[in-house]
Amino acid sequence: MNNRSYWDLIKNGIFAENPIFRVALSLCPAVAVTSGVKNGFLMGIAVLFVQTMVNVTISVIRKFIHPRVRIPSYMFVIATWVTVTDLLMAAFARDVYKQMGLYIQLIVAFAIILSRAELFASKNRVVPSFFDGLGMGIGFLFALIVISFFRELLGKGSIWGFPIVEFKPLLIMILPTGGFFAVGLLMGLFNWIDIKFFGGTGASGGGH
Amino acid sequence: MKEMIKITMSLVVIFVTAGIIMASVFAKTAPIMAEAQKREKEEALKKLMPEAEKITEAGKWEPFHKHAEYYEGKKGNDTVGYIASTYGKGYSSYISILVAVDPDIKVRKISILSHGETPGLGDEIEQEYFKKRFEGKSLEQLEVVKTETTDKIQAISGATISSRAVTNGVREAVKLLKEKYQGGTKG
Repeated sequence: MNNRSYWDLIKNGIFAENPIFRVALSLCPAVAVTSGVKNGFLMGIAVLFVQTMVNVTISVIRKFIHPRVRIPSYMFVIATWVTVTDLLMAAFARDVYKQMGLYIQLIVAFAIILSRAELFASKNRVVPSFFDGLGMGIGFLFALIVISFFRELLGKGSIWGFPIVEFKPLLIMILPTGGFFAVGLLMGLFNWIDIKFFGGTGASGGGH
Repeated sequence: MKEMIKITMSLVVIFVTAGIIMASVFAKTAPIMAEAQKREKEEALKKLMPEAEKITEAGKWEPFHKHAEYYEGKKGNDTVGYIASTYGKGYSSYISILVAVDPDIKVRKISILSHGETPGLGDEIEQEYFKKRFEGKSLEQLEVVKTETTDKIQAISGATISSRAVTNGVREAVKLLKEKYQGGTKG
């Protein structure tokens, strides 16, 4: 792990271990908030920030966390960052908060954040942990944008709220059912790309 | 035994530190947030009734056991309308709503102050097209239907519960204002 360059860590988060398409974690937000590109984007940004900060914090205090109570410790670090972000934004960035406030509190329960704290940040130094968090966050953001792009285009006929076609081609894509379709089909596409062009083995090729 | 103390120490230190961080951030931000909310409410009131020179609180009431107020909007000596703040019990939160009515107790405009409904489905209630469905409606017309209509309130597809919550909140507010301001003159 130490020989990897930081760029590799970021690339790893975007493709090889993409939180949604490859590792299949945090599928709940991937379905719930991707009915529009704007929603997906805002959620992705919020996760990117919290994931990076949690990774750095866990890495800094990793020697102090007792291995037998590490999960509650991680959860508390995550909850602290989410609460602090939520409060600071509510007080100092009202306009942004009105758009993003709904998403921030949901992040506490995201599997991907806990998973990276356990698998990476607790075993690595601060700088690599920072880049791992950044990569995972970008990968998550990328996945949400791709999913929401197709769902909004097909379900509402618009992108980022701007109408592209006048009618709603496939209303089912906006509903949760369509979310599962979109995630499943895109996951299949990414597996196909991996097998065809990179000689991989399909889902969970990342090793977890 | 030694292990137990170590575990306890580790947890206590992390939890107490995190608690102190959260408490201090909360203490710093809470007054700013309360002030911002107050200012936003005043702005929302003005926006609902721009022609009123003075909007004064006329009393308090309790929709769904929550505290709310109602206001009178005056221009000179004429009453131009009434506003009530109200709540609706939505899918995952209480929806905070302001309802402005004309002197003949027909809905003029509504405004969603805050809510915690599902992003992408329930949060459609914030959209202009949904809020417009309330304009000009009288008490009897404030009812949710799932078919296309302009006579009553048409629910948002995928967000029936949130639509119904907003409508119920608005209806309670209109009922209250009707009792307070029209009950005497018509009865």
